[in-house]
Order: sequence, then structure tokens, then C-alpha cells
Amino acid sequence: MGAQQRKIRVLMGKPGLCGHDRGVVLVVMALRDAGMEVIYSGRHNSPESLVEVAIQEDVDVLGVSILAGGHLGLCERIAALLRERNAQDIVFLAGGFIPPEDIPKLKAFGVREVFRDGAKLEEIVHYIEKVAGERAAA
Amino acid sequence: MYLEQLKTAEEEWQERHKEELAQAEALNAACEDGIPLKVLYTPADSKADFYADVGFPGDFPFTRGNDAAGYRKKLWTISHYAGFGSPRETNVLFRKMIDHGGVPPYMALDLPTQLGLDPDHPMARGEVGMAGTSVTSLRDWETIFEGIKLEDTFVGTVINAPAAVFLAMHVVLAEKQGADLKKIRGNLQNDILKEFTARGNFIFPVAPSLRLVTDTLEYCAQHLPSYWPLNVCGGHYPEAGANRVHEVAFAFADAFTYIDDAIRRGVAIDSFAKGIFFLMKTNHTDLLEEAAKFRAMRKIWATRLRDHYGAKDAETMKCRVLAHSGGSLLTRERPELNIARTTLACVAGVLGGIQLIGLRTMDEVFGIPTEKSELIAIGTQHVVAHETGLPDVVDPLGGSYYVEALTAEFERKVLEELERIERMGGMVKAIEAGYVRKAIAQDAYRTHLAWETGAKVKVGVNKYQIEENDPPRQPYAYKPEEEQRQVEALRQLRRERDNAAVDKALKRIVEVAKRPAATENNLMPPIIEAVRAYATIGEICGALRQVFGEYSEPTSF
Repeated sequence: MGAQQRKIRVLMGKPGLCGHDRGVVLVVMALRDAGMEVIYSGRHNSPESLVEVAIQEDVDVLGVSILAGGHLGLCERIAALLRERNAQDIVFLAGGFIPPEDIPKLKAFGVREVFRDGAKLEEIVHYIEKVAGERAAA
Repeated sequence: MYLEQLKTAEEEWQERHKEELAQAEALNAACEDGIPLKVLYTPADSKADFYADVGFPGDFPFTRGNDAAGYRKKLWTISHYAGFGSPRETNVLFRKMIDHGGVPPYMALDLPTQLGLDPDHPMARGEVGMAGTSVTSLRDWETIFEGIKLEDTFVGTVINAPAAVFLAMHVVLAEKQGADLKKIRGNLQNDILKEFTARGNFIFPVAPSLRLVTDTLEYCAQHLPSYWPLNVCGGHYPEAGANRVHEVAFAFADAFTYIDDAIRRGVAIDSFAKGIFFLMKTNHTDLLEEAAKFRAMRKIWATRLRDHYGAKDAETMKCRVLAHSGGSLLTRERPELNIARTTLACVAGVLGGIQLIGLRTMDEVFGIPTEKSELIAIGTQHVVAHETGLPDVVDPLGGSYYVEALTAEFERKVLEELERIERMGGMVKAIEAGYVRKAIAQDAYRTHLAWETGAKVKVGVNKYQIEENDPPRQPYAYKPEEEQRQVEALRQLRRERDNAAVDKALKRIVEVAKRPAATENNLMPPIIEAVRAYATIGEICGALRQVFGEYSEPTSF
């Protein structure tokens, strides 16, 4: 399987205005330690710019981290943009301070999985390895 | 002679108990920042010179406290910090608190306001009125303080990148009320450097951001002597993951950067430095090191201010510390235990002799705190203040072999880190090179892995878990009606004000911003004129963005 040769490529992003990035930086470091190629967007990105970078950089996974409460609106727009750009095969993940009752709503928008604060880094690494592997095989 | 005898005695003691001690030493205890811990401390470990290093409270180097009588002179201030709704709701709350003899709590602002964006900006969508009050122009400030005399109250505002605009609103409103500017009291956070590295609410690149801070310091030194224009924030560093040595070293490096810039501008050290406060964390982890941290901070600050900056006024040399317990150490699992954590955090701050303490509520990890949990957080402080006897004696840890050794070692580590930053060319260079972000990220990663592997215990999370259901939460909810109202109010403002006057004032800001930073090019006067003409925060920051550009942060770790 030639596609398996490629390193998993991930864009970790901070959409919106929330400045808390301790969590997303931990994930960036853990994914790198697991051998993935990780791009971190920095803070204050629009959904448009994150989707643009994800497509330009040909990533397997787009992960976003939101802690200030704007997750529903932001994730809905990102998912819509991914569809508009015909890029819904990019695995879209969300994390941060997200109440459990919002998880079904996020999944209905097109978020594949949600990692709330308190999720283990190990768990996130394994999940991404699994879905990126499935994506490469598809 | 005495120390030699002691050394022999200690060796003999070690010999008598060697099995037990060998086992204990194998545990390899250390503080989170790497300071190793012995099993036992004796006078041989505490090399502190009583007069030079410890001394008396109220006297240089202030290790034992800023005031001779400590908390018998004045108890620490029990703080609260709140986010509220619209400017109108904020006004109702403020008036209620003033009627009850209090001062308004520190004001939290929503993210668009903190980032200098008007409520109708595309990036503001979904965030208006979310994390605090939305303030768009002087009109909102007038609403918030309707019926409140600024001369008679103290207004604290948690604002950084656009702090100059808020100072300007306060000045214009005070003038309209006919107040004596010399009597106006209040406080801006205004610590932009930590935004780049920890808190994340930055707008302009580092150098022009620093210029704006110095403009406010200079303006206040000239016109508002009772106003405190800067809180240097160390506490955001540990919340972002930094260890305690980094918390203090980065806060001091930030503070020295502001001071250096103001001194270059020709502002005299004794005219502004006593208005600088430190906003730190007080945490329960490594509790005695937390107390030692506050003792060491006072000594380092006083020494630097006197010997390096030539301060003459003892008030300038006093390191004033306000501290909150860290929200990031609280757990959603077994949340009632957060009360135990914050109680101990309060004790750490009291043992450290600090001026203000704020405790997080046990349920903050679930969303907006309930009133009951707010009352528990305040009541916890009342218990520490009135039932433990801790405030009765100044610096109760002074002279402890262990705490004195820890204070000295902590001071040494902070000075070492400060020297490292100075060798890099100062904090601005260290930020731009990504050093500070990287140091914090690495500390955070180390701590997180220790929790994840269980090497460090977090009760209820990685040990002593019990099965229970999450309590009901009350998360921050998006308020589309609040956003709509602020957008509508903005449209109305644009229809009603003199737009030619606004354009003229904004052009003037651009003109002055293009000139080099200097007393005669202080941006406060043109910003004040723009605010007076009801220019919005987005327009004023937009004018500055035109000249300064925006900061783009280093993103490699």
C-alpha cells in the first residue's frame, strides 16, 4: 500500500477569537512525537482561512480547539466550507471545552469525533492513526 | 564552628538512619520546576543572612512582607471577578454593588472588544457578549457608569491590547462629569507582553504594542496620579502550562521591559513604578514553594528597583501581589475536592503575605459558577482569615530552615532565567524568537505527561477515582439577541454622531502613530479626541492596524 508511506498530515487550528491554546499545543506536540507532520495555525483564524490551509496543505485531518463557547457556530461553518470545497474527506475533529450535550449537534454538522478537555493525548493519537489509515486505504 | 559541628551531627544522624533515609531519597522528590527536595533541612541548608536576605517586614528587602504589621495592619483583599451581560445590565449591577458599600468588580469584556473589533465584524460573529460585556464606544461606557461618579469609585478593567482606548473613555467620561482627574482611581490590566505568549489576545506587533503601554504609563504619570495603569500578569503563564520559576521570571522580564521603555521616554521611576501590580497564581501544588515564591519575589523586585533602577521611594520597591488560584488545576472529577484545593491555595497565598486573593469556584470547570459556589469560594477565604489564626503573625514561615533554603534557591533560579532572557536581548526578542512560547509548551507537556502516566497524582482523575455523574452544567450560551442589539446600537451610533469629526480624529491617530514613539507623539491625546467624537473601538484599533499591522505568532514548538 503505497499511500501508507506518506506521513499522516494534520492541521491543528484555533478558529475564532478564543486565545486559550494550552490544549491544542499539547496535541500538536503529542502528534509530532507520534511521527506525524503537524501544522499549527496559531490563534485567531477564520473558518475560511483554516479550510483554505487544510486544502492547500493536503492534510488528512483538520483538528480545531475551542474553549470560549463558540464551538457550535464555528464548527458548523467549517463543516459547510469543507463540503462547499468538496473536501469533506478531510477528517474533521473538534476539541476543547465542549459540553456533552453539544456533541451530537457537532457530529450532525460533520465533525467526526469530539475530544473534550480531559481526553488523553494517547487516545487522540490512536484515533488519528486509525482514521488516517482508513482514509489512506479508501 | 557551629555549622561544622552541625554538619558532623547531620552525618551521624544519616548514619544512624541510613536504611530509612536511603529509601526516602530513592523517591527523588522535587518541585515541579525541578528544584530538588531533601528529606530534611537544617541551619546548614539555610545560608540566608538574616539582615541581608530576610530582615524585618516593611523594610528592605521586604522578603518578610511589605508592611511591618502584616495582616494585622490590613487583611488581604478578597477578590471577585465577573463577566456580565450588556452595558445596561452591567450598570444595574455596578450601582447595586456601590449602594451596598462595595466597589464594582473587575470588568470582563467579550473577545471582540478585547481584540479591537466592532460587533459587526465578521470575526466577531457568535462572540459578542459571550466572555464579558461588549463595549463598542464611549456611548457604552456612559451607559455602564450612568448615575455613578467616577471620582468616588474604583474601576478595574481587564483589557490589554486596546487598553489605551479604555483609558481614553475613562478620561473623557470623567471630564464630562467634571471630575478632578487627579482623584480618578482605577486599573487597567494593560500587560500586552503576556498576551503574545500566554493569554492570546494580541492585535499589533510587539514593538508598537509596547509603545501603547508606555503611552498610557506616561499619560497617567502626568495626569492621573491615582490611577494604576498596569498589572503585570505572571498568573497566565502557569495557566498556559509554565512552571513556577517561569511564571515569576517571565512576569519580571515583562515588567522590566515596560520600565525600561518608560525610562527611555524620560518618565522618572518613582513617578510610576508604584502603580505596577503583579497578578500571579496562588496554587496548592508544592504549597510551601508557593509561599517561598512570594517571599522571593519581594526580595528580587526590591533589589532590582533600588539597585538597578535607582528607586528612592520605599513604596516603589514594594512588590504588590494579587493572586488567584489556578482554574487549570481544578478537576471535573469529584468537583467538591476543588474546595480543598482552593482552600490550600488560599493558605499558600496567606503564608506568602500577598495583598489580594481570589479563589476559583468548585464548579467553574462546568461553566458559569452558581451563586452558591461563589459564596463558598468567598466563605473559604473568611474561614482562613478568621478561624485559622494565620494572619496574626507576620511571615510565619520566616526562619524555617526549609522555607528559607527554598526561597533562596527559588530566587537563584529566577535570576538565572532572567539572565538567560537578557542574554537573548530582552523579553521582546525572546517573545519574537518563540523562546517563551516554547518554554511554556515544554513545561506544559512535561506536566501533562506526568498526569497522564500517573507519575503525578491528581486525586479523582488518575487515582482515587469514584463513579459519579457529571453535575448539571450551565455553559456559556451564545446570545444572538445580545449580538443583534449591539450591532443595531452601532448602526444607530453611526447615524447619529458627527462622522466628519470621527474621520478627522482617526486621521490624526494615523498621523501620530506613523511618527516614532516619543513624549510629543504620545497616542493618548489623539485617541482621547477620537473617543470624544464617538469613534468605535474597531475604528480606533483599525486606524492603528493601518500603521502598525498585526502580530503573527511563531507556531513551532
